This record gives sequence, structure tokens and C-alpha cells, in this order.
Amino acid sequence: MTTENAVYWDPYRPEFWMNPYPVFKRLRQEAPLYRNEQYDFYALSRFSDVERGLTDKDSFSSSRGDILEYIKAQMPRPKGLFIWEDPPLHTVHRGVLSRVFTPRRMNELEGKIRAYCARCLDPLVGAGGFDFVKDLGAEMPMRVIGMLLGIPEEDQVGIREKVDAALRTEAGKPLQASQVRNSGEEFAEYIDWRAKHPSSDLMSDLLQVEFQDETGTRRKLTREEILIFVNLLAGAGNETTTRLIGWTGKVLSEHPGQRAELVENPTLIPNAIEELLRFEPPGPSVARYVMKDVEIHGQTVPAGTAMLLLVAAANRDESRYPDGDRFDIHRKGPPHITFGRGIHACLGAALARIEGRVALDEVLKRFPNWTADLDNAKLSSTSTVRGWDTLPAFTGGGGRNAVRREAAPAATTESAIAQPTAGTEGWELTLSAPMGPQVMTAHIVRNGESFSGTMSSAEMTAQEISGTVSGNTLSWTLPLTKPVAIKLGFEAAIEGDKIAGEVKLGMFGKGALTGKRI
Amino acid sequence: MPKVTYIEFNGDEYVLNIDPGLSVMEGAVNNNVGGIIAECRGACSCATCHVYVDPSWVSRIGEKNDTEASMLECVCDPQPNSRLACQIKVTEQLEGLVVRLPQKQT
Repeated sequence: MTTENAVYWDPYRPEFWMNPYPVFKRLRQEAPLYRNEQYDFYALSRFSDVERGLTDKDSFSSSRGDILEYIKAQMPRPKGLFIWEDPPLHTVHRGVLSRVFTPRRMNELEGKIRAYCARCLDPLVGAGGFDFVKDLGAEMPMRVIGMLLGIPEEDQVGIREKVDAALRTEAGKPLQASQVRNSGEEFAEYIDWRAKHPSSDLMSDLLQVEFQDETGTRRKLTREEILIFVNLLAGAGNETTTRLIGWTGKVLSEHPGQRAELVENPTLIPNAIEELLRFEPPGPSVARYVMKDVEIHGQTVPAGTAMLLLVAAANRDESRYPDGDRFDIHRKGPPHITFGRGIHACLGAALARIEGRVALDEVLKRFPNWTADLDNAKLSSTSTVRGWDTLPAFTGGGGRNAVRREAAPAATTESAIAQPTAGTEGWELTLSAPMGPQVMTAHIVRNGESFSGTMSSAEMTAQEISGTVSGNTLSWTLPLTKPVAIKLGFEAAIEGDKIAGEVKLGMFGKGALTGKRI
Repeated sequence: MPKVTYIEFNGDEYVLNIDPGLSVMEGAVNNNVGGIIAECRGACSCATCHVYVDPSWVSRIGEKNDTEASMLECVCDPQPNSRLACQIKVTEQLEGLVVRLPQKQT
């Protein structure tokens, strides 16, 4: 094979993720051990190789994170974040939660999950359309996690509202992984209250559980550890299931015959959800750190490199899934690898499954037909998940015009922010982040003790920001979705044409911020 | 090689020769028995390799440890003869073992 014909894959090209499957197929066939020199990583795409990568924890470690950028940047990792630990620490920390998310316990939530779905969907009956992500996918999983955490009832409305607000996502956006942690005070307050008023919820379990830590000491979890767990559960559980529900809307829109079968025979729904998870996994890849030289397909992968395991490619490996590019709710045979394998297999798999099944069932009861409005849908891909930020669908009844369109006002906003007006200050800001310096531009307008404006960078389209002014100090936050969902907290003082301060990077600590007027 | 019989909930039967030393779960997933998911592949942390051991075999396959017992409280439709297939090691003594798969793992 000549070089120009060799398969090349750039995971950072956004258009790639619109349809990654033709390239994944070529990787499986032509480059089962793929090496990308530019970004310095290896990738495995065949099912058996991905499965080995996930289960051979001595060769492929999670201890430096499971996201390529983190592994390469050698990010600091908070203790207790068991998805990024190896045994024996991993065993200790995950063990605390292992019983909480088991199949039967999750299936017992079915009735409550149905009620949350009904609350989302009932008001939309007769509206002519709804958004699978905004109206359902971003709402219901958040409510379920809130309930699992045991958000208190009427006698603690105040705390519930704060916790609710901390868990609430912006319209069309998944919960930010750092959101909970940045709102830690509300949770800390709630933890104190729950410690005095134990119940049968997850927060009470976490407060009461005794375990043997890595030093052999028998103890309870610290408040810090509980916050890390809650942060992880809220972030991980929300975003992925949101994506699953979005893919459900998209894929079944394109397979109306199979959808009609599901309406006719709802007992097919569990298998349909498994097939959706195989066909469009919300988490298409995970990364591992190579601990020792490993021989794969006749080549040596050296210790110290990063390995991407392409779950989405493995799920369509023809040697395991005949006609793997075909969506088939009747597909029998071996399970997909979407939830991973081995000690890091998805802890929330049973919850995701029951949420996915109930959501589909409740949608089909109300809307047996729909057409996804892909012209107005938005697909995004971060380093961890791939799916729809918004997926409007026409459901008939009220007709096309009844679908709530948000494209027009959004466009207005964009043109407004593209042209800074009088009174606007421009700043070029440099953040020292773990993955290297990041340059961003901010345009703001002050209004007494507050300001508003936008921030953008080469990798990020303009995002609206607002903050406070205290003397010569500005404070504001910026939610990022790439390379990971994280909320940045800025505080910087202006001296003439210069600005300096620091930026809080969620669970990754702080970085310095410098800048100049533009 | 000991023969192990897996009977799916719908009655489909698989009679498989399993290498001694493997677990009953590994025997199933290596041969694509669909009714066992085994996402954690033997870490005893997912409860998705649940099987019902044929009553005549219950006393012959060894005791369950505390972790397995606690996970078994969390499977779908537990019965007194419920076990996690990942925790049953295949030995020559298990020649002829029969396990039935539950209606659902999750």
C-alpha cells in the first residue's frame, strides 16, 4: 500500500464525527493498530483488541485518566475519582458504590422514571413536535439522579431549590462535570443536613458506609470524597443518557418500520435499546495509558504512550456483528461493548438501560411517529461523548409550524455579538492550563457593578458571559464543553491596559491568567 | 474438558466444552451465549452474569463468598440457587454441570 492511500484519521476534525463509521471500518481492515504521529497516540478498532485493551488493566492503565488529552497533559487527579484509578485504590473506592447501581435496584426506579418522563412529555402532546434532547434527554436523567441523591422534601425546600439549581443544565446543554463541585457549598450544606436526617437515599448511604481504605483503616467517607463521588455520578450519569435518548430519536426516525414494530410490541424495547447502544454509543472511545511495552499485530506499542480504544468501531466489527452497519432491533448474539468491560465497566449501566427503555416506551405511547428535523439539529462531539445537543422532531398533529424554532433568535444574537459596539472593552487573555497556554478573546460592556459580553477562542465560537465588577476586579465564569465539560471561574484585576489574575479549572486546580487590552 | 450445559430462558440449550480453570461466565462469553452479559468480566461488580444452578449441582459447586452473596441480592429475580457465573470455576468435577439463565440480566 502506498502512503497516500494509507488510512488517516484525525479525531479533532469536527466533521469526522458526523459519520465516523467508514473510517472506523478502514481502520479495522487496514490499520487494526493505528498510529497517529501528529497527535501522538495509538488506536485499536477491532472488537477483540478493544476488549483486550479494556480488560488488560496491567498493560492499559486508567490511572492517568481515560481521556486522551488528560493522559498526555498528565493532569492532576483528585483522590477518590475511581474511574481514574487502578487497583488496589480503585477497588476500595468503587466498592463503596458497587451495590448502589445494580440491576434490581435500578429497575425498582421504573415507576419514578416513568413519572419524570410523563412530566416532560405530557405538555407536548398536540404541540406538533418536541426536542428529544432539550425536552426529555436533558431533563429526565437529571431528575432521576436528583432523586437518587435524596433531594429533601417540602420541609427542606430551600436546600432542594439550591441543589436543583446546581444540577439543572442550561437549555440544550448537558450538566457540566464541574457544576456540582463548583456548587459544593450547597451540597455541603445538604450533606450536613442529611447527616442529621438519614433516609434511604444515596447521600445517606454515602454518609453511613464504612469501608477499609488503602491504609487498612476502617472509616467513613470524608465530605470531600462524597463531593467527588456526587460530582462524578451527576456528571457521568446525566450526559451519556442524554445522548442515548437523542440517538434514540434520530435512529428510529430513520427506521420507521422498526419503530412501528416497537409500537406494536413494546417487549422488543429492551433489545432495541441494546441495539441503539451498539449502533451509536454515546461514548465512542476511551483512552488508556500504556504501562509496559505491548505486542499488538506484530508491532511493539511502547510503554508511556496513549492508547485510544474505539468502542464505536468495535461495536460494528463484522467478525462479531454480521452486517454491523445495519440497525436491527431483532439482532441476537453477543452484547455490545458500549459500557466497557472489566473493572471500569460502566457503574451506571443498569440505570442507563432502564432510563433508555422507559424513555422510549413513554415516547412511543404518545408519539408513535416522528421525523427528526436534522436541518435544525446540532451534533457535537467532545473528548468523551458524541451526540445531539438538540434534536427537534415533527410529530404531526400541529404540523411543522408548531415546532418551536429557536434558530432565528440565536442567529440574531450571533450577529449582535460579532460587532463590538461603543462602550465595549476588548481583552486578549492567556490562561496557563494543564494542556498548555490557551489564548481567548473577551469583549465586555460594564454596567455599574456587573458586566456582560462574550468570550471566544480559535477552538471555541463566541459564548456569552456575565460577571461582577468590584473596584478594578472582574469575576465571571465560562462553561466549556471541549476538551471536557468544565466550568472555568475567572477573577482578574485590571491595571491600565493589562489584566492579571487566576482561573479556577474545576477539579483540576487553578491556573494563572494574564492579558492585555485590544 | 468438562461439559457445561447452558439453558437460555427461551429453552435454547448450549452444551459447551470448557477448559478447566475458566469460569462458567468465561465459558459462556467465549462462546457467545447471549443470555450472559458480564460487563465487568469477573470483577464481581456488575451482577450481569446471573445463573440458576441446577438444584442437583448446588451443593457441589462450592460456597459463595460475601461479595458474591451481596451482589446476588441485587440481581433480577433472585432464587435460592442463584449464582454469579464469574465466581464458579470450571473443574473436572463439574463435568455435566447444568445452569439456567434468567429471563433478564438487567
